[in-house]
Parts: sequence; C-alpha cells; structure tokens
Amino acid sequence: MTPTYYLLLSALLFSLGAVGVLVRRNAIVVFMCVELMLNAVNLSLVTFARINGELDGQIMAFFVMVVAAAEVVVGLTIIMSIFRTRRSASVDDSNLLKY
Amino acid sequence: MGVTTFLAQADELRAPAVDYGAVAPVLIVLGAACASVLFEAFLSKSQRWIGQVVLALITLVASGTALAIYAGDAPEQGTLTLSGALAVDRPVLFLWATLLLLSFGSILLIADRSVEPGGAFVAEAGVRPGTVQDRAQAAKSGMQTEVFPLTLFALGGMMVFVAANDLLTMFIALEVLSLPLYLMCGLARRRRLLSQEAAVKYFLLGAFASAFFLYGVALLYGYAGSVKLADIAAAAAGTNRSDTLLFAGFGLLVVGLLFKASVGPFHAWTPDVYQGAPTPVTAFMAACTKVAAFGGILRVLGIAFEATEWEWRGVLWGVAIASMLIGAVLGLTQTDVKRMIAYSSVAHAGFLLVGSIALTPEGLSGTLFYLLAYGFTTLAAFGVVSLVRDADGEATHLSQWAGLAKRSPVVAGVFTFLLLALAGIPLTSGFIGKFVVFSAAVQDGMAPLVVVALVASAVAAFFYLRVIVLMYFSEPAPDGPTVSVPGAFTTVAITLGAVITLVLGLWPAFVLDWAGAGAFIS
Amino acid sequence: MTTGTFAAAEASTASGLAGYAWLLIALPALGAAVLLLGGRRTNAWGHLLGCATILAAFAYGVALFISSTALDPEERTQDLHLFDWISVNALEVDFGLQIDPLSLTFVLLITGVGSLIHIYSIGYMSHDADRRKFFAYLNLFVAAMLVLVLGNSFVMLYLGWEGVGLASYLLIAFWQHKPEAGSAAKKAFLMNRVGDLGLAIAIFIMFRELGTTRYDEVFSRVGELGSGTVLAITLLLLLGACGKSGQFPLQAWLPDAMAGPTPVSALIHAATMVTAGVYLVARSHPIYDLSEDGRLVVMAIGAVTLLIGCVVGCAYDDFKKVLAYSTVSQIGYMILAVGLGPVGYALGIMHLLTHGFFKAGLFLGAGSVMHGMNDEGNIRRMGGLRKYMPITFATWGLGYLALIGIPPFSGYFSKDAIIAAAFSAEGWRGWLFGGVALLGAALTAFYMTRLLILVFLGQPRWKDLRSEDGREYHPHESPLSMTVPMIVLAVGSVGAGAFFALGDRLAAWLEPSVGPLEEAHGALSHTVVGILTVVLSLLGAGLAFALFGRKPQPATRPERVSFPVRAARADLYGNALNEALFARPGTWLTRALVFVDNKGVDGVVNGTAALLGGTSGRLRRLQTGFVRSYALSMLGGSILLLAALMMVRFS
Repeated sequence: MTPTYYLLLSALLFSLGAVGVLVRRNAIVVFMCVELMLNAVNLSLVTFARINGELDGQIMAFFVMVVAAAEVVVGLTIIMSIFRTRRSASVDDSNLLKY
Repeated sequence: MGVTTFLAQADELRAPAVDYGAVAPVLIVLGAACASVLFEAFLSKSQRWIGQVVLALITLVASGTALAIYAGDAPEQGTLTLSGALAVDRPVLFLWATLLLLSFGSILLIADRSVEPGGAFVAEAGVRPGTVQDRAQAAKSGMQTEVFPLTLFALGGMMVFVAANDLLTMFIALEVLSLPLYLMCGLARRRRLLSQEAAVKYFLLGAFASAFFLYGVALLYGYAGSVKLADIAAAAAGTNRSDTLLFAGFGLLVVGLLFKASVGPFHAWTPDVYQGAPTPVTAFMAACTKVAAFGGILRVLGIAFEATEWEWRGVLWGVAIASMLIGAVLGLTQTDVKRMIAYSSVAHAGFLLVGSIALTPEGLSGTLFYLLAYGFTTLAAFGVVSLVRDADGEATHLSQWAGLAKRSPVVAGVFTFLLLALAGIPLTSGFIGKFVVFSAAVQDGMAPLVVVALVASAVAAFFYLRVIVLMYFSEPAPDGPTVSVPGAFTTVAITLGAVITLVLGLWPAFVLDWAGAGAFIS
Repeated sequence: MTTGTFAAAEASTASGLAGYAWLLIALPALGAAVLLLGGRRTNAWGHLLGCATILAAFAYGVALFISSTALDPEERTQDLHLFDWISVNALEVDFGLQIDPLSLTFVLLITGVGSLIHIYSIGYMSHDADRRKFFAYLNLFVAAMLVLVLGNSFVMLYLGWEGVGLASYLLIAFWQHKPEAGSAAKKAFLMNRVGDLGLAIAIFIMFRELGTTRYDEVFSRVGELGSGTVLAITLLLLLGACGKSGQFPLQAWLPDAMAGPTPVSALIHAATMVTAGVYLVARSHPIYDLSEDGRLVVMAIGAVTLLIGCVVGCAYDDFKKVLAYSTVSQIGYMILAVGLGPVGYALGIMHLLTHGFFKAGLFLGAGSVMHGMNDEGNIRRMGGLRKYMPITFATWGLGYLALIGIPPFSGYFSKDAIIAAAFSAEGWRGWLFGGVALLGAALTAFYMTRLLILVFLGQPRWKDLRSEDGREYHPHESPLSMTVPMIVLAVGSVGAGAFFALGDRLAAWLEPSVGPLEEAHGALSHTVVGILTVVLSLLGAGLAFALFGRKPQPATRPERVSFPVRAARADLYGNALNEALFARPGTWLTRALVFVDNKGVDGVVNGTAALLGGTSGRLRRLQTGFVRSYALSMLGGSILLLAALMMVRFS
C-alpha cells in the first residue's frame, strides 16, 4: 500500500478539522477540531518518516502530542472560565468585541 | 527494529555540545520562569508581588548582562549550538536585546499598582464576572501574580523563536510564547467579559493558526526530509522533488507566522484581542510578539526560502499590500483608542513585511531597526492609554479623549509625539524606520510596493492626526476621564519608550550599525 | 580665443592676501549682525560701526587689488574654497569665492561707492530715529552684493542675488509710514521674483545638463550643450538680469523704488545692485558667446530700454524719478554693450563703473537738494538753487556733464565707445542699434539739461510756496559729511572715463575675466561716431535750453499737453502693459486655478477621503466579532495565498 494514501487521508482529516472549526459553535468541539487538525499533521509526519526511511518524523509526532496536551490545558482553562461566566460554551455568544 | 540494534545505536548517541555563553540569556529567562512558578507555590500571598517583580526585573537585567558579555566577544559569524537547533548570530543578538528591553518596559507596566489600584490584573481569576464577589475583587488590592511567570515563559519562547534554526524548535517556541499570552489576555481586573472573550478568541484562532504552521512543517519535512532551515534551503536549491510540497508547505508555514505578526488578512484577532486584553498585556503583545514573529519571518524567508524568492515574492507583495491597506483604511473609522492602535499595528506589520521580503542586508537591518523603534513607540503609547481613566477603569473611547490637552498637557503632548512617531513624521524613530525599510525595498526593485506603502502611510496619518486634533482642539466633556498620576513604574516605561523614540529619530546611526552588523547563519 | 581655452586658464587656489577674501563678506555681515542683534544699545555708535566695516572692506579690497596687479594676468584668477555648502547626492555646491579682475573691479566699486554713501548717510539720516537699522540694512546689502560678485558658482550668485533683493526690499520700505514706500517695496519684490524665476530655472537647466553650477566647470563644458539649450539658458539669464536691472519689460519697479531714502537710491538703485544684470551677462559671456540669437535679444532689450528710459525721463517732474529713468536708460546702454559680445563686454563694464560714479554723485546731489528743501522732490517747485547750494551745484554739474557725454568727462569715453561698438554690428543691426544709441544720447542731453535748468538755474519758484508740512523753504548747503562724498564722486565723474579708456587700461585688466576686447570696425568710424555723439548731445541740450531756459516755468505742471508727453508721463504705459500682459492673465489664471482647486483638486481629495471613510465604515462591519468568521477569513486568506503560490509556480 503506497504511503500516498496516508497523506491524502491526512489532508482530508486536516480539512475536516478546518471545516469543523468554521461550522461548529460549541467551543469544546471547535477546540477538538483543532486537535483533529494537529493529529492529521501527526499522520503526515509519520508517513513522511516512513517514506524517508528515518525516525525524525515520528519523534516530531511525539513533540506535537506534548504540545497539543499543553494546549488542551490552557484551552480548557480559558473555555471553562468563560463557560462559568456565560453558562454557555457557544463561541457565537462571545461577540462583544467587534467592528 | 530489535532491542540490540537500538542499544547499539544508543551507544552512538552523544549529548550535543552546548555553548552555554551563547544561550545563557535564554537559559536565565526560562530558569527564572520556573523559579517564578515556585514563588507562586511557596511564597505567601503578601510577599508574592514584590518577590515576583524583583525576580522578573533581576532576570531581565541578568539576561541582558549575559547577552552583553557574550556579544562582547561573540564570533563575528555567529554560532550554532544545541546540535544546530539554535543559531546565535548578530541579528539574533539584536533581536534578543530588543526583546529584553521591550520586556523590561512591559514588566514595569504589568507591575504597576498605582495607576489602577492593585494593578491591572484580576485579584481572583476564579470569581465569575459581574457578580458581587467580582465587584469585591475589583476593589481588592492584590492581583494574580501568575502573570509574571507567564510573561517570563512567553519571553523565553520568543527568544527561542527568533533563534530557532529548525522548524520543530520554532514550533515548540511558538507554542511556548503563545500559550502564556492566551492566558494573560484573560486576566483583566475590570471588564472581565471582554477580557475573557479576547482570551477565547486569541486562543481558538491561535491554535487554528498553529495547526496551519504545523501542517506546513510536516509538508516541508516531506519535501526536504528534514526540518532544518539549511536542509530545506539546500533541497529547494536543487532537487527534483515535488514543488507542490514545497510551496504548499511554505504557504501554510507562512500563514502561521503572518498570523502571529498580525499581518492582514490574518489579522482578524488583533483588534479584538488588543482591545479586550489588559492594557499592559496588550503593550507586551504589540511590542514583543511583533518582534518575535518578524524575527522568525526574517529568518525563515532569508535562510530556507532564499532560493525560491522569485516564486513567492509576488504573493507576499499582495499580502503586504493587503495588510497596509486593511490597517490604514479600517483604522480610519475606529472609535476605541486601543482598537485604533491595533489597526495601526496591522498597517505597520505590512510595512515590516515590505522590509522583510527585501532579502538584502539593508532590508534585514532596516526591518530590525523598525522593530526596535516600533516596539518602543507602541509600548509607550499603550502606557499612556492606561493612564486615561474614569470611574469604570480605562477610558478608551475616543470621544472621552476630547480636549485632553487642556486637562493634562504633558500626557497629551507625549501621546501626540508617539502618534507622530507611528505616523512616521521626521525627528521620530518612526520616520527613520520607514525610511530605511522603504529605501531597502526600493533598492531591491520594489518601487511600486513602496508607492503603495507611502499611500497607506498617508491614509494612516489621518487617524493619528484625528486623535491629536481631538485632544487639542475639542472642548473636554464635562464628565470626561481624569488622567491618573502614574506611579514610578509606568512613568519609567513611558519615558523609556518616548525617549528611545526621540533618540532613534535624531541619532539612528549607531542602532542602524548594530542592526546591520551581520547576517543570519544556519 | 575660444571659450574652452579661456576656461582652462582659470583658477589657481587663492593664497596669500587673497586667502582672506572672506573678510570682504564677513566684515559687513558682521556689522549688520551686530546692529540688528544689538538693538537700541548700538544706537549711539551703530552708524560708525557700519561705516567702519565698509571702510575696512574697502581698504582690504584696495590691498587685494594692488597685490593682484603685481601678478601675471593668467594668475589673477584665484579660487577660494571656504566650506562645503550644499552636498546632496549629485548636487555639490561649495561656499567658494572666485577672485578675478571682474569680481575685484566690482569689489572696489561696491565698497568704494558704498563707503562714500555710508559716510553721506551719517549726515543724511542724522534726524532719523531708525538710523541704526538703516545702517544695518546697508551693511547687509553690501555683504550680499559682495557674495553676488565674489561667488564662484551660479548658486552663490543666486544667494547674493536674493540677498540684495531682500536688502533692497527692506530699504525701499524703510520709511514704512509712507504708503507709497510700502507699495513700491512690494512692487520691486514681486517684479524681481519674475526675474529670479528665470535665473533659477537657468541654474536648474545647467545642473540638469552639466551636473554643476560652478562657473569654471559650466563655462568649460557649455560647448557640449545643444544650441537650443544654450539659447534657453541665455534668455532665462536675461530674464533674471531684466528683473534685477530694471530692463524692459520689468523696468517699472525701479522709478517707484525711489520712495526709499536717497542714499539707497544712489547706492542700490543706481550704482551697484541694478547693475547686477550687466554683471550676470558679462560673467556668463562664454555662454552668450555661443548664442548669436541670445545676444540679439539682449541687444534688443537694451536698445528698447534705453529709449524708454530717455523718453519717460523727459516728462517727469520728480527729481529722483527722472534720475531713476536715466538709470534705466543707462543700464540699457550697458546691456546693449554686453549684448554686442566680445566687442562690448569690457565697454559695458566700463560704462557701469563710470555710471556708478556719476549717477551716485547725481543722486547724492539730488539728496542734498531735497535735504535742503524740506524733502521736496518736485523740480517745478525748485529753481535757481545754484546760489544757495554752490558745492552741490558744482558737483552735480560735473556729474551732469559726464552723463550727457561731453568730453573729457567720464561718460563721454564709456558711452561713446558703446555707440561706436553698436555701429559695428553686422548689417542692419549696426545701423539700427547705433542709431538708437545715438538718439538716446541726444535725448539724455535733453532731459538732463531740463533737469539742470529747472533745479539749479532760472527763477527761484519756491519763494512763495510752502512744503507739504507747512514750512517755508530755506535752501541751504549740506553738512560736510554729505558734501565730501559728493566731491569725491565728482572727481570720479570727471576723470574715471579717461583713466579707464585711454590705452584700454580697463579692458586689459578685465581680459582674464571677460576675454580680450575686440576692435570694433563699423559702418561709421570711431571718430565720426564721437563727433556725432557730441554734436547730438549739444543739440539736445540746446533744445532744452530753448524750451525751458528762456522763459519762466510754471510751478505746477501743465495739464494740457500733447500725446507724447502724456504717454511719457504714464511711463509709456509700461504699467498698463505689465497689467495687460502679466497681471490680468495672471489674475485669470489664478481664478481658474482656484476654481480647479476648489472643484477639482478638493473634490478629488474630499472624494477620496469620503471614499476611504465609506470603505472603512463598510469593511469594519466584516469584523463581526464572531470567532468563526475570523477563522473563515484566515482560511480564505490561506487558500488564496496557496492558490497564488501554486499559480506562480506552475503557470
């Protein structure tokens, strides 16, 4: 099986994530879509590592996971605090700042 | 892969050589950031503020001293360390010095507790906005001192970011600088709804942008088989691999960088976040993040993509034009002073991009100078913004600034000077900055772009002058804001910014010499 | 001698005494600075300082002249670099002086006559409260005039040119309480601007075409230019000369400028500043040598002006205005002379020098008369003054003889030579310009004799009259400080011409600067022209005697006069001409521009502003506050950017 399919799958997942960010209202889901994008990248990295026959890409995937975990910590904090304030996790409710 | 082969490979693993002298400034900042976290854990609440402020200031001074000592006898060409992950060359030293100086001013603004009694930061972040407890916390004298470790981490991330010599390091640094900033945006003492909204927007869009950046890294890795800038450059210079990967990777990578630099059309977060964040944090973001982001852009474009310049340059022309026009035109109708400066920063990002895509020594030194000059001007400008207040906190609506010169001529005078610098009027650093950047661009054959830039400057000058006219030629509103007498910290920060703006406008030569002292290495 | 070899012989670096030539400018400039900055504290001794600086400059000038005569003619051109003045990209202008026979001649004239007039002013201005300021402006003028003649480039010349313009403006308007002084100053200022524009554009052309404005470099390379460019430069320089020297069609300001104090009229508007145009043409002779057409225009302007000056001078009743028109006409002679080319440059300068002596003397005499007559300027209210002012009469009479060109007075030598040279021009030109010059000589004699009769001879018509302020006239001789300069100038009026002309002394001295004086061989021989000139002058004078000398003249001016007199009284409609040619179209143009500016430019500007504002107001609505729409804009931007990159790469 050629690795190209994995790349296409990765691109598809990335696009799905990007579209998800655009269409979903719930902040948690939006955030999960971003995570989906990051994991799509991980798939790409691993695939490229396989194509190139070296480990670098796989190691980078670990880095990305760690970063994603840190991002989750920060992101959930922020989303939680605004959820407590507004009793809503909809990103469309936060639009006091505009124009 | 068997265990034995792995062990055999492990024998070959060598700890990379570390040039501790070169990376000492970064190590000091990151180490102090960790110490700062411990302060949060172990110091009693009453001691935390003073402890954190002293630690932060000492850290900056120590890091600056380490930098000065290293710069004194650094190798002319610069050095690579940590097995090539960090490059410490002349532009990096200049950027580090810029970042440390700007952070010094930002820390002073952050630490000030006299302008807003208790400081600009929330006393208890856990309290829900709009409740009785929230009003009580707004009146309390304490603040969440976590902002200091967060600032130090962000600064450390920025310093690594501008020195990063491979894209993975750059990505980690990008996150290290971004994550604290997301949190800092949400820490305002007053108008916490706005503040939290700013944090959420910045976070979601920032994460979105880092995903783009990372996908770009992955594609470039697929293209070059390595994420080192030098390897990408070598691969781009001569291979028969798919250019689709290269340019798709380049595009996505650059989107991530342009987002951080708030270059239009990736600027959408900027006005909202600048307006909602606590003003000292806005100052820190506007000054330091801009420096870090453009430091990264300069390095990536100058090293990894120099060979493909003719393919991407036209596209970045378009981006620069869009950014300048968006900033200048949208700034015209803003009614909030922080939003206005935010759009101004979008326009300035366009000007900086003009200098960045001129891959000449003049373009590099001009952009570095511009970053330093713009950083201090905007830092001082936000410092002044934090002084103009009414009962609800800062009075940022422009109508409240009417006739300010009659009430406080000094503050109005300083702000006028800073606005003139942002507009690029001679005798200010803003003029010199624009001049060196645009002349570098013209020399590199980008005269039409410079014409657009000049038109945008002229349009942007309008909204700066509008504020000046408002301050000097309008009658003050009867219930208008008062101007707080700034404490020592804010005074020092504003004075620092204004004086450097003036000095760089009058004697720019020595800083230009430093900025032009050397080139990137990889 | 061609211009190329001429310029190649230029400029050794100044050394020795010439190394201090900056003192010439510095001394009067210092005087002006001290008097202006010192304010009232310097009232007591300000005039003495003013005189002292000029006298010192004169003494230095004489020393420089003597040391220069000791040098070989080739070494007399010296260049003194003081400092880099303007250094912008390709434009390099030194603050440098060129000391050569031409500039030295002018230095002597300016500081010499300037000294005399400074001394004269001590007495003349003694009753004026602002005497200190007067001396400050006079010093300023001398400094600027010296910059003009000493500068080694056209830009330096322009600096001095504007400096003397400023000093002239300040001094014409010195008596600010008189409305006519203010309007005269404004008129002088504005008409000079017209000329200055020409000079400035000429300098721009030189810089554009040759990349330099230094005399030596311009003159050595002017041959590289096309004939059209050279013609343009000559005409533009001539426009500058016309403005400064009161030549047609910009002559109208000079008579009005007589509203200033008389020493100013003598120094600035007779002897020195107004001759700057002649200096300019003579200095630029390598350019004019190349353009036959340019020189023809110069000659035509000179001839027209000299006739206008003579004719109008016949009709005026104001003492100083008659002299002013006389100046206009005499400068016309000089311009005619330098327009003749190599046969005339030295003659023009010679006439300039002799004219400097006798016209300054005539003006000082007029000032002396007015000083004794309660500042009365109307010659019909004078008459028979010779008994009351013997010294003034004698010195004025000598100047008069010099001006109308009676041998052996100085005017004869210089003017006669110009007329003879004019006859030497080719074909019809010789007859035309020679004839005009001859006619001018006759007319000059006529109006000057009329002036002499009405002022000094005949019946005293002032006995029953009172001056405007109600006082009776008590004419009296002027104090020593005024008469001594007049006597000195009278000596010059008598002897200068012969001194300069005999043996071609002046022409030989000036040769390194303006080239050798070529022998003029014309339709009429020099002797015939000389005799004709004297005879015609005597005829003119005789006619004036017949008309004005034999019967008493009325004290008011006759109103029923013939058309030529009416026309002359109206300055030959010079003002009307200017009005119709320049002012009226200028007003129309201005109105049209204002209209375009209001409707067009402002419309575009306001329209752009409104457009930008409207765009801004609409675009900011895109900043909806919804984070998802921001994400959409980012995604859209990214897709565009990627698409553009791919298009560039794969198209």
